[in-house]
Amino acid sequence: MSDIINIKSMKKEYRMGKITVPALNGVDISINAGEFVAIIGPSGSGKSTLMHIIGCLDKPTDGRYSLNTELVSEMKKGKLAQIRNKQIGFVFQTFNLLPHLNILKNVELPLMYAGFSKKKRTSTAKKVLKEVGLGDRLKHKPSELSGGQRQRVAIARAIVNNPTIILADEPTGNLDTASGGDILSIFSDLNDKGHTIIIVTHDPAVAKRANRVINIVDGLIQDGDIS
Amino acid sequence: MAISLKENITVGFSDFWSRKVRSIITVMGIVLGTMSIIVVLSLVKGINNQTMKWMMERGGLSKITVSRNWQYDNPGHVKNYFTWKELKLIHSLIPEAKYFNPQQRRWERHSYEDKDFRTSSRGVLPDFSKIEEWDVQEGRFISSFDIEQSNDVIVIGTKVKEELFGNKKAVGEVITVSGRRLRVIGIMAFRYMKNSGAIGNDNAFSYLNRRTFVPLTTMIHKGGATDKISSFTLKAQDVESAPALREKLSNIILNLRRGLPVFEVESAKEEAEEMAQNQKMFQMIFYIISFISLLVGAIVIANIMLATIQERTREIGIRLTVGARRRDIFIQFLVQTILVTTIGGILGIVVGLSLLDLVSNFLGIELIAGISMIFVALMVSAGVGFVSGIVPAIIASKLDPVEALRYE
Repeated sequence: MSDIINIKSMKKEYRMGKITVPALNGVDISINAGEFVAIIGPSGSGKSTLMHIIGCLDKPTDGRYSLNTELVSEMKKGKLAQIRNKQIGFVFQTFNLLPHLNILKNVELPLMYAGFSKKKRTSTAKKVLKEVGLGDRLKHKPSELSGGQRQRVAIARAIVNNPTIILADEPTGNLDTASGGDILSIFSDLNDKGHTIIIVTHDPAVAKRANRVINIVDGLIQDGDIS
Repeated sequence: MAISLKENITVGFSDFWSRKVRSIITVMGIVLGTMSIIVVLSLVKGINNQTMKWMMERGGLSKITVSRNWQYDNPGHVKNYFTWKELKLIHSLIPEAKYFNPQQRRWERHSYEDKDFRTSSRGVLPDFSKIEEWDVQEGRFISSFDIEQSNDVIVIGTKVKEELFGNKKAVGEVITVSGRRLRVIGIMAFRYMKNSGAIGNDNAFSYLNRRTFVPLTTMIHKGGATDKISSFTLKAQDVESAPALREKLSNIILNLRRGLPVFEVESAKEEAEEMAQNQKMFQMIFYIISFISLLVGAIVIANIMLATIQERTREIGIRLTVGARRRDIFIQFLVQTILVTTIGGILGIVVGLSLLDLVSNFLGIELIAGISMIFVALMVSAGVGFVSGIVPAIIASKLDPVEALRYE
């Protein structure tokens, strides 16, 4: 099976005035299609930076990153927006739903930017919300839902465009243990259906769900990947 | 994969409604601005229309008036009147004039049986009726035969008829005018034009209904008037030839008076043009003032939009994350600002139009709204949206997705 994500000697530096702060110091990662990967590391280790780059929200200072055989590290920002829209689904710790839109509209959002018709958008979003068990809450605003339900809306939004990979940043960080467990089960189900899943976390219990754990400290991958 | 304008407008509308109070306050300046555009432009049009109507009622645009120039301080050695002989000469020099009417006036006491009515009487030629486009409603007007014979006849206005005869028949009766006996041969048609801005009398032409008319020759030869005539009117063949005729007539009169501007020669067409010019200037000044106030409004809106964008930074980050391009964000905020100001513009137009009657009653002037001013108001409000929305939209579109997502 070919690797879906291929990162070679990737560096990322931030400039804070005159000082250059290194965040990633030459990272090599290869992830195959259908994998369930956890990226763990303490805060400040560079795992969020890595996730932003994998998610095409940010560009590396140096190094190569190819996603699905496309060399995204060389792409312009407009093209990256398309990659984010079509190939990547994001799930965040704080859900990041738009508070003034109902959950149906929230889930429709990626489809809108993909240019689908209103009719197609609504039917697809409804179907996906049903899959995550929220088919009867379509007109609710995010504030009317529980944390676990909100995260399920976010997952629905992440998978609605049928992306290559699903990126989750501390998806259970704001949830109680029970609903956190539900969310992780959804990720496992999605993985069983063939989705590639990458979870960034500092919680070893979350990392246990993954087939593979990538440990990052001080901007470097540590040896001893658990495969 | 761009999102359509329709989509953007839908998003803009839902944003507008989810922030109703702020949206309304934001556009208050636009509402007032477009409202005043509608009211003031309607007012200008109304005044213009009223004056034009008055001109048309008083003989139309091909009319030319010669009268004493009150602004000229006559040194005294040139005559400030025309003699009968001079008038005949002038008339013979302008054969292209369609009608020609020198006139004389006297304040007279008109009596019939036991009733008296004092009013201004005019000595005129038959052309008077043609120039003023004003005929009798009963009987006949003064004829050229009356002029030749200096006949003792009189034509009276409806008010004079009412005062002297009441409901009785007037045509054929004889009245006494300052001791002379004149036969009533006709009654002038009743004149009416709605008066603007006056309290009480609503007929701007009531003074015309109070007049009486006698043959000019009768007034000069028998009525004690001099033959020193200081004003006359004439009519060109058509509106287009009126300015040329005025020019020629003006030169003839200047030649007769050693080049001194003792008389004023005015053509209704040129007056109307001058009026239109003044109106344009007035409109221009108004546009400049509106422009400044709308600019202030635009700055306020830009400021509010900047605050809105800061407040919505996270939303922008989310939109960027799920695949919005910079262009999508730019268009979203620009369209939204234009939408907000256009809604304000429409509100202003509606309020302005509904105020027209109120203002009209208050000022006593008819206000006339037109499609063009509604269009102008609409374009202006959309334009303000564009001007005030473009910088905030650029700022929004330049946000970095990672930083925008982190924004609290």
